[in-house]
Amino acid sequence: MIKESYRQTSDEELVRATLDGDKKAFGEIVSRYQNMVARTVKGMLGDSVYAEDIGQEVFVKLFYSLSDFRGEAKLSTYIQKIAVNLTLNEIKRRKRFFSMFSHKGNDEMHEIEIPDHDTEEKRDAAELVNKALMNLDPKFRVIVAMRMLQGYSTKETAEILDLPLGTVLSRLSRAQEQIKSILKKI
Amino acid sequence: MKSADLKSLIVKSLDLESDPREISREIEEAGAEYKFSNGFGEKVLGRVYSSGSAIVRKVEFVRDLNFVFYRLALTGVAAIVILLISIFIMEGSFSIDSFLGLGNNYDETITCLLTGY
Repeated sequence: MIKESYRQTSDEELVRATLDGDKKAFGEIVSRYQNMVARTVKGMLGDSVYAEDIGQEVFVKLFYSLSDFRGEAKLSTYIQKIAVNLTLNEIKRRKRFFSMFSHKGNDEMHEIEIPDHDTEEKRDAAELVNKALMNLDPKFRVIVAMRMLQGYSTKETAEILDLPLGTVLSRLSRAQEQIKSILKKI
Repeated sequence: MKSADLKSLIVKSLDLESDPREISREIEEAGAEYKFSNGFGEKVLGRVYSSGSAIVRKVEFVRDLNFVFYRLALTGVAAIVILLISIFIMEGSFSIDSFLGLGNNYDETITCLLTGY
């Protein structure tokens, strides 16, 4: 039976309905988690058109791997893992590409489009956060994006990134040092 | 929010004692909010459901291929093992001659076979 609205439906039910061929159920999953994915992908890649493509890729990959989702972890964690992996792959791919064709290293990766905001103050804030993130080492950037943009605890970050808690704590501390020096220059 | 305040908030967000959820909310309110463009959901659904059947067929084909490959590989390994055992039983050892099936032939026999005399 296809439900008219899935606003109140649990993630598990949505997954089951999607596997049964219900298009609206998958639409609800996308609508429920697209902002979370946007924070991860755009936070790590910058607010560019590429980020939109990777965002779409995350949900396409989710759709084809839903039958493997056993419900042991939360759906949000599962989606977040896909988003992080695809984004890190894209960062590596672009780094390789730019290092082949340019002597400027990966400066081009930092070309970002700041979306329209209500006020100039908000636009400046978005630009500042983007600059700070884009100048971070990718292995620190992912940790910072998880904590600063998603609001995850260190334990949740460790679970999503499949890293030991100690590694997350040490990277967080080193990321803080790096971001301090980046912010001084901005 | 002033730039200096935002900078200190960014640094504070990485403190272990801070509440990451509260700070991420504050940073988002300051202007660092990330959203996909309008129509993002429709684009995803379009990609998934328009190309869906073709991709599913492709995935099924690859799965079938993997299944067939494993069956063939296992059968091949089993045949090789049986062959080795039979050679060992017939010849009593593993040698190049026994592998080539020359263990029981004399040179004269081969000459006979090749020349017809």
